[in-house]
Amino acid sequence: MTESVIIVGAGQTAAVAARTLRRRGLGGRITVVGEEAVRPYQRPPLSKDYLSGREGEDGLWLLTEDWCDRNEVGLRLGAHVRKVHRGSRSVELADGTLLEADALLVATGTRPRRLPGVEGERVRYLRTLADANRLGADLRPGAHVLVIGAGFIGAEVASTARELGASVTVLERADHPLGHVLGRRMGEVCAALQREHGVDLRTGETVEKYMETADAAVVTTTAGRAIEADVVVIAVGVVPNVEPLIGSGVELNNGVVVDEHCRTGVAGVFAAGDVARHYHPLFERHLRVEHFDNANGQGMAAAKNILGERIAYTAPHWFWSDQFGRNLQHVGHGHGCDEIVVRGQADSFDFTAFYLHNGVLRAAFAVDRGGDIAVARQMISARAMPDPAGLRDENVDLADLSAATH
Amino acid sequence: MGSWVEVASLEELARRKRKLVVVGTQQIGLFLIGGTVYAVSDVCVHKQRSLTKGTVLNGQIICPGHQWAFDPQTGRAADREECQPTYDVRIEQGAVFVNPSPRALTSEER
Repeated sequence: MTESVIIVGAGQTAAVAARTLRRRGLGGRITVVGEEAVRPYQRPPLSKDYLSGREGEDGLWLLTEDWCDRNEVGLRLGAHVRKVHRGSRSVELADGTLLEADALLVATGTRPRRLPGVEGERVRYLRTLADANRLGADLRPGAHVLVIGAGFIGAEVASTARELGASVTVLERADHPLGHVLGRRMGEVCAALQREHGVDLRTGETVEKYMETADAAVVTTTAGRAIEADVVVIAVGVVPNVEPLIGSGVELNNGVVVDEHCRTGVAGVFAAGDVARHYHPLFERHLRVEHFDNANGQGMAAAKNILGERIAYTAPHWFWSDQFGRNLQHVGHGHGCDEIVVRGQADSFDFTAFYLHNGVLRAAFAVDRGGDIAVARQMISARAMPDPAGLRDENVDLADLSAATH
Repeated sequence: MGSWVEVASLEELARRKRKLVVVGTQQIGLFLIGGTVYAVSDVCVHKQRSLTKGTVLNGQIICPGHQWAFDPQTGRAADREECQPTYDVRIEQGAVFVNPSPRALTSEER
């Protein structure tokens, strides 16, 4: 029987798992080991309202001191896990401390991918609270911000920088943003949204050479252009933090490989959140998903499985992004879909796009239509085959359509 | 406390299923769910999005901002501590009235 649990990592997944374990009756010790010195916090606002200064730190905290005291959850902050011992549930910290428990949850998350050769005083990344504090100070009226990468973090930083009066250039290596998630057509809609708000978005172009002068960063692009900026933000994706597990016997392949119950191949070792490449029964493949809701839901599922329940994590992945005054949401997995049906007006950024594969709804992407996403999520879970004409027709109530396909 | 205010006709709610009304300074969302009219604060307790711009699914009100699901009767958010203010509703001769003082939850609802 599982009595004690060590959670490696102290982000959203860890916080939710700790809460779930305690709430559902785990009696023994819970230890959360975090690399950062600050208490666990939420990351979504770091590129949005916290970065813009509209929200302070108060709303960010996840496991308060009071809660940890009352629930006897031990936080070891500023602690680096050097390794997970082979075939076991014992971890070794950088200072030599050995921690052991009945179960181990790996929730180490990810870190920003570095761009080789782009280093200096004016280079910024955005992952941690400290990163957000540093970048926030750079985003001011008149500043020129160069963002490398037009994905969700790049776009949100660009949006916040514009809101604060900075001028913004974005370089995107692909010929449209977010193609791997949304496909070309919707990627172009996202590009249009950025451009409409004064972002100088240059696609098919990235960094060739980087240098800093006394008063600027100078990027030479692959198109031969030289761009000067006050600050350069690198937002080209993340890499999973798997290093402590090398040699542990746990399978690693673009993340920690787990089944639908968040289990690795080593008994008692689980993984969840950004770092977990999990088997997803609905999409019949392994996926690694770097979003808040996945961290949340999977953290909860992992905790239940640690407690011996057999709960498969099957929810279609969902995320939102707030940028340029719009609310973007996506649910499901649209890869390989053969038809996109649009409800509403994509040109005026008020629509939902439904992604179908052989008639089965697999994903949906909405701008300012979060209500549609709720219904889409239900239909995706049910592998529904909704009538495309009904999806397109604004006079058809989506909830009715969903009910009709069950 | 608060006197009843006529805010909508049952007929228009039957057609649109939901409606945003303003009573004094309060924005109240009316929802027709399974033949019953519910009134909840339209401003989501989480990030202040408008609930009437969301949807109703499986008898719950879904916020369009971050997909929080609320029980229309109690205002309670699924799997969370937070609670959306709710209001008493009265139907008289096809007219919908709300009492603009938020309800206190009964002991069973808490």
